[in-house]
Amino acid sequence: MNPHRQVIFILVVMPLILGATAIASVDDAQSFALQAAEPYVREGFQVREDYWGGDLAAGEKKAVRQQLFKGNEYWFWLGTEVRRAKVSVHIYDKEGKLIEQPDSWQKGSYAAAHVVPTSTDSYFIIVAIEESPEERTHWALVYGFR
Amino acid sequence: MISAFKINKWAGITLAVIGFSAQAAPAPQHIDVKQYKKVEDVVVPLPNEVFAALNKLGPVNWKEFVRTEKGVNFSERPRTALLLGNVIADGFIAVQAQDAPAVKEIGQRVLSLAKGIGVGASITPHAKAITEAADKRKWDSVRQELDRTQSSVQGAMNELQDQKLSQLVSLGGWLRGTQILTAVVSKHFTQEGAELLHQPDLLRYFGDRLNSMPEYSVPVVESIKRSLVEVRPLIDTGNRPISPDAVRKINEITTRLDGEIVTRQ
Repeated sequence: MNPHRQVIFILVVMPLILGATAIASVDDAQSFALQAAEPYVREGFQVREDYWGGDLAAGEKKAVRQQLFKGNEYWFWLGTEVRRAKVSVHIYDKEGKLIEQPDSWQKGSYAAAHVVPTSTDSYFIIVAIEESPEERTHWALVYGFR
Repeated sequence: MISAFKINKWAGITLAVIGFSAQAAPAPQHIDVKQYKKVEDVVVPLPNEVFAALNKLGPVNWKEFVRTEKGVNFSERPRTALLLGNVIADGFIAVQAQDAPAVKEIGQRVLSLAKGIGVGASITPHAKAITEAADKRKWDSVRQELDRTQSSVQGAMNELQDQKLSQLVSLGGWLRGTQILTAVVSKHFTQEGAELLHQPDLLRYFGDRLNSMPEYSVPVVESIKRSLVEVRPLIDTGNRPISPDAVRKINEITTRLDGEIVTRQ
């Protein structure tokens, strides 16, 4: 490649490739989260189209605050496309008390938390990358209710 | 809801291998929630989430809340955004009422409003899918397409760096949902129904967002700002239950705002 083309490649093409890769990774993480949700759709859960995501380092956590309604039952599904990563999702009330159901689960690059709110209020969904071979690991959170 | 094209085949294979028998790893029983960085201030629920909770408290005559008037189109983008959220909420109401003609009209109305605000292209396939699903009385599919419609509208606005408009879509939907919630609960008051209004953080979130958009200072936005201040003490009652009077008052306020959103003032 001549020097002129190299400059064009570095300045124009590489950022596009890297950008596309980053977008694809978050979308992949969403695919994994949706895959975890699929069996629950058959049980009558309506999975919302929107999702929340980003990237975190291993050991890092983030909170998504969400209004939940008493009477509904919710599942939150977290996924990442990084296969050897370990993720977790847990639900706390405003006072910081763990309120999820015992059938919540965590397995490698998938995790899910189940909650039946005892009051209508906002709650904290804490997502974490527990372990990962990557420096930054994409994650996506989706939820459903019935 | 889940789209087939979104499902990664590797995810499917992996899940099939691990199964769903995994148990949750021990999580701390208590945390200090303030120490965490937040992704979203508060996730705004779709109107059908509160409608689902309302349905569990007893039968609701959804047909009396169905609305299909064509209404007016506005040239001001913030007004159109509020109206879009409002009309999408009407779509969820029509689904609850299983009113196919209303659903189809609302689908077309959403498309027209979205075109008016420059995001019509993202809505066209959803409007078509809404019509097809309504014809077949596939209510779950209609609900799913309405959700996709709102998500696509907001996604398109975000791509155009119009996050504030996107927030107004959510606000328009929330106001219409709250108007219907309070109408239903006022008719047959129960403490459980009134508790569904306990959304103080959401109210604070909307107030903060409106204060951060001085460029959208049209009369209806100013009116909503003032009204949220009025509503807040009625629902932020601490451990005390929300009273029948408070529910009635919130219904009056949200009905007034609905009038300002849907009609030319």
